Amino acid sequence: MARNPLKDRLAVIGVGSTPYGRDLRRSELSLGLEAAVHAIEDAGIDRQEIDGICGSGMTPLAMGGAGFLSLQGALGIERTTWVKNGWLGSAFVYAAEAVFSGLCDTVLVVQTYLRDINMSRSAASDPFRLRAAQFSDVGGDVGMGDFARRWLHSGEPYAGWIRRYMKDYATDKKAFALMAVNNRSHGARNPDAVMKTPITLDDYDNSRMIWDPMQMLDMDVPVDCGEAVIITTAERARDLDVKPVYIHAMSLGGSRVGEFYENTLGWTENAFWIALGGLWDRSDLKIGDLDIFFPYDGYSVDAVAVTEAAGFCKPGEAGDCFTDSWDRKNQILRLNGRTLVTTHGGGLAMGRAGGANFYAEAVRQLRGNEGHRQVPGAKTALIGIGSFFHDPAAVMLRVD
Amino acid sequence: MSAHEPLSDHDVFALFPNVMIDRDNIAHYRALAAGHLAINRCGDCGYWVYPHRPMCPECLSWNVTPTEVSGQGRVFMFTLIHQLRDPHSNIMEPVVVAAIELVEQAGLRYLSRIVNCPLEEITLDMPVSLTWIPEGAPRSPAFEPASAQGLEARG
Ligand SMILES: [Zn+2]
Repeated sequence: MARNPLKDRLAVIGVGSTPYGRDLRRSELSLGLEAAVHAIEDAGIDRQEIDGICGSGMTPLAMGGAGFLSLQGALGIERTTWVKNGWLGSAFVYAAEAVFSGLCDTVLVVQTYLRDINMSRSAASDPFRLRAAQFSDVGGDVGMGDFARRWLHSGEPYAGWIRRYMKDYATDKKAFALMAVNNRSHGARNPDAVMKTPITLDDYDNSRMIWDPMQMLDMDVPVDCGEAVIITTAERARDLDVKPVYIHAMSLGGSRVGEFYENTLGWTENAFWIALGGLWDRSDLKIGDLDIFFPYDGYSVDAVAVTEAAGFCKPGEAGDCFTDSWDRKNQILRLNGRTLVTTHGGGLAMGRAGGANFYAEAVRQLRGNEGHRQVPGAKTALIGIGSFFHDPAAVMLRVD
Repeated sequence: MSAHEPLSDHDVFALFPNVMIDRDNIAHYRALAAGHLAINRCGDCGYWVYPHRPMCPECLSWNVTPTEVSGQGRVFMFTLIHQLRDPHSNIMEPVVVAAIELVEQAGLRYLSRIVNCPLEEITLDMPVSLTWIPEGAPRSPAFEPASAQGLEARG
């Protein structure tokens, strides 16, 4: 076991979300502010209690957007003793660390996404989105305009990995297809999801080829949205009216291949295996204890990798595992016969939020007030979010 | 500019206007412009250092120099890009982007194009050889089936 001094000593006390939409005609800051205000109301705290902010973005001094520089003033928060910008799953981990270290007591995490021009052809025809992109600090492209020598977009190596996975493990696209169907089945029950229609395996097979062998239904849906969570100490959380959702264990993950995506040595050497390994080294809860599992689905291949890295099956066996775990009636996965997967529909159905909506859904389910979507008696949730190559995060949440 | 005189930094920047060229990778692009595929190699332990970095991650030596590779490799992974995100792109689709594992070292992969091969005949682990295509500055490296080169040589 690794050291885990923060075990159950931090808690999520607030979550807030905006509506999700393909074109909300709003700025990132506007979305971030709405999510933040909802989260503050949800926690039932005075906003001046917030003394740490993790904004949305990849650069520390980003102006505009929903970075901390803009958020703090726009929210009228007088004083912070810790600030940072972050994205994907790691933003949550950074913020939790800051509370645990004592640099702040109550931290607000805000993550916003726009259907940006790098994610969508129709978005790239929108002059407002084009202009915003010229000044955007949030990218994801590694092509640098050099299509002979670099990938055009950071997503293409994931497409390459799908083919490599199928060859190395002598398997087919079943795992990717079933993950896509699972997420769309859950999305169909989520009134906030952008994609509310379920899909069949035939729909998956027939979906448009984008980056062969990756198809449209393997890819998350670009949307405009904002998400916020508030984290504080377990002591403070117990004084509030909300049910504390404790952070039981966390891990990030780094590998030697952080930059040139094609150089990953093997499927099991991508950074998800490191993050999930770090998580299990720190968690008293084991895989059989999981009520809900949230594998990030920027691409379906991410979700398959996170599932294997978490240890639900051996590398390369997700197709068989998912087939054995398939609930035909509901068209969803029940891993180990019980663990539900991505109960809000994830990026494939609810919409692309860099995984921020996975945290929000996990907290709401563990609080037990998800209405007709509530997983009965849910007490534990494992979240795995990130990239094959950079800042993957694994977080175990639990309630008493 | 004589054939033996290396291009100036200024010329390399001008030839690759859209590439993030820096102190650590400019030698690679200077070599490309001269028709050579060169990867940094550690002079002490022989490790090929890629992406282009000034220090060897195996032995921490700074004795790293761009070294021409054999140009032989295998297709490690590839995708056929059926849809580009730029709606105004005039690139003919689908575009093949492939990571070629060079024979010099396990995991040493160079991202490139595959040419002289019908798309449906590209397979993983297929042996390929370096060739040059008239595109970019002034030509760009690409890979073709190793057998194609053999035929050409015989012809
Ligand atoms: Zn060395």
